[in-house]
Amino acid sequence: MSKTDLEEQIAEHVIEFKDRYYRLAYSYVRNADDALDIIQESIYKAFSSLDSLKNPSYIKTWFYRIVVNTSLDFLRKRKKEIVVSEVFLSANDESEYDSYEDFDLKAALDDLPPNYRSIIILRYFEDLKLQEIAEILNENVNTVKTRLYAGLKKLRIKMNDENWEVSK
Amino acid sequence: MKNNSLEKLKKEYMDIPIPQELDFVVKKALKESRSNSTTMAAKGRLRKAAVVAASTAACVAVLTIGVNMSPAFAKTLSKVPIVSSIVKVLTFREYTVDDGTFNANIKVPEISGLKDGKLQSSLNEKYLKENEKLYEQFIADMEDMKQNGGGHLGVDSGYVVKTDTDRILSIGRYVVNIVGSSSTTFKYDTIDKKNEVLITLPSLFKDDSYVDIISENIKEQMKSRHEADDSMIYWVEGVEDEGLVELFEKISKEQNFYINSDGKLVICFDKYDVAPGCMGIQEFVIPTEIISDILVSNEYIK
Repeated sequence: MSKTDLEEQIAEHVIEFKDRYYRLAYSYVRNADDALDIIQESIYKAFSSLDSLKNPSYIKTWFYRIVVNTSLDFLRKRKKEIVVSEVFLSANDESEYDSYEDFDLKAALDDLPPNYRSIIILRYFEDLKLQEIAEILNENVNTVKTRLYAGLKKLRIKMNDENWEVSK
Repeated sequence: MKNNSLEKLKKEYMDIPIPQELDFVVKKALKESRSNSTTMAAKGRLRKAAVVAASTAACVAVLTIGVNMSPAFAKTLSKVPIVSSIVKVLTFREYTVDDGTFNANIKVPEISGLKDGKLQSSLNEKYLKENEKLYEQFIADMEDMKQNGGGHLGVDSGYVVKTDTDRILSIGRYVVNIVGSSSTTFKYDTIDKKNEVLITLPSLFKDDSYVDIISENIKEQMKSRHEADDSMIYWVEGVEDEGLVELFEKISKEQNFYINSDGKLVICFDKYDVAPGCMGIQEFVIPTEIISDILVSNEYIK
């Protein structure tokens, strides 16, 4: 496949699933401006590292990985500011809390370390397979599975329902 | 808590509002990267090779706000640092668009007072052309967005006199693009006012060895900045190892630079060139000791 064909495929894919990638970025940074920034940067990164895409059928996991890594880079950079702003927000902003019916759960999810949260989001919200998540996060499947269980446990969610079966 | 909590959480997640700018941001980023990467394939890393320079993000913010808020301040900026010298930089032309959510503010600098009319007019022509292009692009993007249901778009362009000594004049032109997020680019021209020549990076050195010497120093600076503060991420070996991005190897022969008022060489990179966008534009002051052996003279760099 020529380079332009590959570029064309990536462009089509990104345009088609842009909402998903945006939500994922948003789930890390929780504001629209930064999420847009991350999407923009992920696209730049993707095209400057086409060589790291070994096989066009991996576009999805490959691009997810770029978005996750770009988001994490962003959080690392912003870490210090968050310490201040969370205190500030909890003291000053109550409006958002009212809209969450399951505030405790929502807060618990937000409190999970990013690598646990990523797994839950990718597995249950984005409906990805464990194998795909392992590829995205560059971990082995067992690690992903262990973290998924641990994450759910921290959220105190029990998995009984077939539809929410962990291993698929 | 039960599974329906997770379902509720998922619903909330799926309800994250998608801003109308997203489509535009994605398409623009794709367009930029794709046209870049085809040229890059042929010419190596073009974005680095372009004669583009960067300054610190803080500097841009202050100046941008200052210039916007007060015409008096803008005047101060363009005049005061150069009152004493004959060579001047003034605002030659301004483009403004203020159409609800669409805003453009473009100022074109003009140099006057150089005896070498050729150098002066070629620089001034370049500035005017660049800004005309920027304005046309903005209008095209604005029409495009209007047809697609509107949105926010802003462009702010102007200039700063970075250094103005008896000998050296460094002018930086900046462009800030705002589409939800923002990007900033800086381009510099440095002029020797006495001999009336445009100073290029290769002209400062005896041979090409400066590329490697300066690149190694920048890599060291990147690593030590990262070690001092691990939130400072650079795309350099030893800091970023994901294999996902092109790591910084060396500067281009025509890398962006200016000479600061202490006579130090400052190498500049645009946003996204050597670090994630959140790091902004990057500058590295090169210690004169490490290049003193290969400098043609100490006339400019001390």
